[in-house]
Amino acid sequence: MELDELKAIWQNNEAHFERTLQLNAELIEERRLRESGRHLRRLTAGITLEAVFNLVAVLAIASFAADHVREPRFFVPALLLAAYAIAIFAANVRQIVDLRSIDFAEPVVGVARRLETLRLRRIRTTLATLLFAPLMWAPLAIVAARGFFGIDLYAVADPRWLTANGLFGLAVIPAAIFVARRFGQRLRESSLGRALADEIAGRSLAAARDDLAAIGRFAEDG
Amino acid sequence: MSATDAHRDFVERLDRHRGILQKVSSAYCRDAASREDLRQEIVVQLWRSYRRFDERGRFSTWMYRIALNTAISCARGRNRQDARVALAEPAILESMPAPTGEPQDERIERIYKLVNGLDELNRALMLLYLDDYSHAEIAAILGISSSNVATKIGRIKERIRRDVVAGLAR
Repeated sequence: MELDELKAIWQNNEAHFERTLQLNAELIEERRLRESGRHLRRLTAGITLEAVFNLVAVLAIASFAADHVREPRFFVPALLLAAYAIAIFAANVRQIVDLRSIDFAEPVVGVARRLETLRLRRIRTTLATLLFAPLMWAPLAIVAARGFFGIDLYAVADPRWLTANGLFGLAVIPAAIFVARRFGQRLRESSLGRALADEIAGRSLAAARDDLAAIGRFAEDG
Repeated sequence: MSATDAHRDFVERLDRHRGILQKVSSAYCRDAASREDLRQEIVVQLWRSYRRFDERGRFSTWMYRIALNTAISCARGRNRQDARVALAEPAILESMPAPTGEPQDERIERIYKLVNGLDELNRALMLLYLDDYSHAEIAAILGISSSNVATKIGRIKERIRRDVVAGLAR
């Protein structure tokens, strides 16, 4: 059977496509349509929540840093934490702008490319957040102990403890990558665990890059 | 045009072209719950964009573009939880059984099988081709060149020929 024959069959069945779907006119009220639409709205809401959380963190750390500007032992860890939170916040803002600029009335390939680019950026942000998080543990402990409880961790903890924490943070990064690559694919029971492992191992990033390249090939072919 | 008139106008046009919703949802979703979910998502996107619809263009062409963009976006982001949520909500568009005495055309099922075997973008191209859009119109909806459309349709034709030959050889 040729494609042209399939096309003729398809067109002869136009009435069938319409008969098998009924519009519930009373459910298409204007208000209901305004309030519906889960897919991108949920994604936007999730990123916005992340951005708000990170902004609050940036403001709190900046306030702490301002109070301890003459005490480098508190100021430097606060600066590290602030840089980390600002970087994530900036990535969140960029994603929200990207998402809001997507117009579904634009050509299909362009929209697909923008959505895939957004996915790629989200994966990179998550990956960076997860991998740098262990490095932030020691500065966070110093700042949080001082900020919330007024405790000077340098005075109460052994300097070797702080050094060990810093080194542990460094060691966790390659260890996490190794575990995710080696055992991640076995996490069939937990979709969240699997997704996390795929992101740390770089599999999600590779898949997103492949998908973006496939869109590029589709657009440039011929 | 008042908001009420615009809404009535929208519903009338949507009803006239509801076949597009059926075709796109069937091409991008395998189960009934996901199809219903996708159709509702498309209707919401259509209404959101309706204010910007250019009356000089064809409604069906504009509708196809938004429906395909929504379908591809949902297909990439869909997870099982979405399908479960859909079941709890009333359906804007309900699937109807085929009228009595009208057997489900097996050839349509075969076409869907063929369409479902393609990647998301080629699936969009195939739906538009089957609905008799010209190469130029398909190119405008997808955002690629007309020669690219012709090349891809040629490849799909070739693939069908190969499948038929392979089927005969079996």
